[in-house]
Amino acid sequence: MNIVVCVKQVPDTATERKLRSDDKTLDRDAADGVVNELDEYAVEEALRLKEAHGGEVTVLSMGPAKATETIRKALAMGADKAVHLSDDALRGSDALSTSYALAETLKKIGFDLVILGSESTDARTGVLAAMLAERLGTPQLTLANKVEVDGSAIAIQRVTDYGYDKVEASLPAVVSVVEKINEPRYPSFKGIMAAKKKPVETLAIGDAEISADQVGLASAWSEVVDFAAAPPRAAGTVVKDEGDGGVKAAEFLASKKFV
Amino acid sequence: MDFSLPESAQAVQRGVADICSHYDMAYWERCEAGKRWPEEVWEDLAKGGWLGLAVPEEYGGAGQGLLELAVATETLSASGSAGGSAFTYVLTPGFGAMTLARHGTPEQKAALLPGLATGELETCFALTEPDAGSNSLAISTFAREDGSDFVVNGQKIWITGVQRATWMLLVTRTIPAAEARPRTNGMTVFLVNVPEAVAAGQLSYRPIPKMGANTTPSNMVFIDDLRVPATNVLGELHGGATVLWDVLNPERILLGASALGGAEVALRAGVDYAKQREVFGRPIGSNQAIAFPLAQVKAKIELARLMLYKAAWSFDNGLPCGTEANIAKLTASQAAWEAADAAFQTHGGMAYSLEYPVARLLTDARIGKIAPVTEELLLNYLATQVLGLPRSF
Repeated sequence: MNIVVCVKQVPDTATERKLRSDDKTLDRDAADGVVNELDEYAVEEALRLKEAHGGEVTVLSMGPAKATETIRKALAMGADKAVHLSDDALRGSDALSTSYALAETLKKIGFDLVILGSESTDARTGVLAAMLAERLGTPQLTLANKVEVDGSAIAIQRVTDYGYDKVEASLPAVVSVVEKINEPRYPSFKGIMAAKKKPVETLAIGDAEISADQVGLASAWSEVVDFAAAPPRAAGTVVKDEGDGGVKAAEFLASKKFV
Repeated sequence: MDFSLPESAQAVQRGVADICSHYDMAYWERCEAGKRWPEEVWEDLAKGGWLGLAVPEEYGGAGQGLLELAVATETLSASGSAGGSAFTYVLTPGFGAMTLARHGTPEQKAALLPGLATGELETCFALTEPDAGSNSLAISTFAREDGSDFVVNGQKIWITGVQRATWMLLVTRTIPAAEARPRTNGMTVFLVNVPEAVAAGQLSYRPIPKMGANTTPSNMVFIDDLRVPATNVLGELHGGATVLWDVLNPERILLGASALGGAEVALRAGVDYAKQREVFGRPIGSNQAIAFPLAQVKAKIELARLMLYKAAWSFDNGLPCGTEANIAKLTASQAAWEAADAAFQTHGGMAYSLEYPVARLLTDARIGKIAPVTEELLLNYLATQVLGLPRSF
């Protein structure tokens, strides 16, 4: 089985994240880049499927040169090889154009199964898996907390508010995973050393036949109009129980339309 | 001359830091306050093969050396655990795996190294006695030959990690100190199965209440007619001193690495506070009285690190490393103490509050000046062995 895992480098959630004042895109130099946490679960799931069914795991990442560190981490976890889509023309791409660029690259490198984290910790749109499936003309099996493959059949448990849905499809397909699905392994010493020698193919947009006028900030369908720092959290309301605490609590909940 | 760390050591830095990033300062403070072993970190390190770094590949390890172990120890310590984590690397990967790999018989290696690589087996090291600390050649724990066994009697003190250890490296006299010529002759190291010895009533221990480093208890150990088969001699009979140097030098280097990491944690705490805390309308770090001690510490950390890596590299390359190990231990511990003190002073009155980490860092750093060997003994070594000055003792 030829599995491709899409991995994104995001600013470390433990540090202060900033937008650039000039073009209102993410300031990727302001914080350390780390692997988007949910993508680690995607890599882990890909590795488990490979261990169970054989095949190959390819890491696909779109991002600046710095994203190489993220790719190496996925390789250190055990992925076999990587494709790094890197081009200045891609900077500022929104979810729609990112899905276009990734879909074109996936068509070029081929796949039986594409696995993604269900969202990234920076943009948090959570729509990429659906967009990719649509562009690739494959079934989408999103928000999986369990994935089973049997020959060309794939089944997942899709997490819902009320439990889960069982979703079945046939390969090729696109799957997005949630953090409940597994516990990602740490790269081992041997894994990190071996990752240095694994092939990483760097593609520019021309190599993947991506047209420049459909990607980048200028082609984005969504626009950041303005941004401001989140206001400091307002002080809470303290209700002193003078025998009527229950009533006051009920009134508070009613005022917020909880009851 | 190439000062860059080898790729193997860089991989260790990355891999261990990755695991440590899941455990914050609060985690280590809970371990210390609750006197509990950092079980979760231990398991994560075991799973990734990070405990078996210095175990040869044929026994399931990564086949690396003391440099990689030192870098792992430093990285773990610098992640926020400071001195609290030192024993994670010193006891089993250091005392156990490194020593077995160098001095074990093929049978001993086959029996122990695979388990030591995965963390399934753990070790402790018993040398110090109530009347033989700095003068370790004067130990009196005696092993008497009896058929194909030895029978050991004696008492040890400050033996850390007996509770978790499957095996103890027990240092004994097989020729009494008074009769040994030279004084280093007649020492023998035994591998003792701790649970079996305890079950047989031949070994018992009692933890010593201590001011810090409480993630691992340190104990008084009582040895009564402990029977050990001759096949459990580690190294040569009467030739234990050779094994001893290969335990004590790595111990100095690994504890030095832990001190360096602790110095980094303290420096970071001091610098962060000096940047944030504003008095008279500006951050206190803009005052040179605050800034210079922190800058001074930075210089000392970098210097100590150079010597520490040199010492580990010398050991790995089979070169004499006593001088380097002693200088590294001395300077790293001093850097840790000065870093903790500078961070403490920078915090002003808040330093005394246990809500800030600096009090713990100060306690952790203090041990480096007395253990596993006092600063004075390290200076004595340099004075007599390196400078050729006359001995005072």
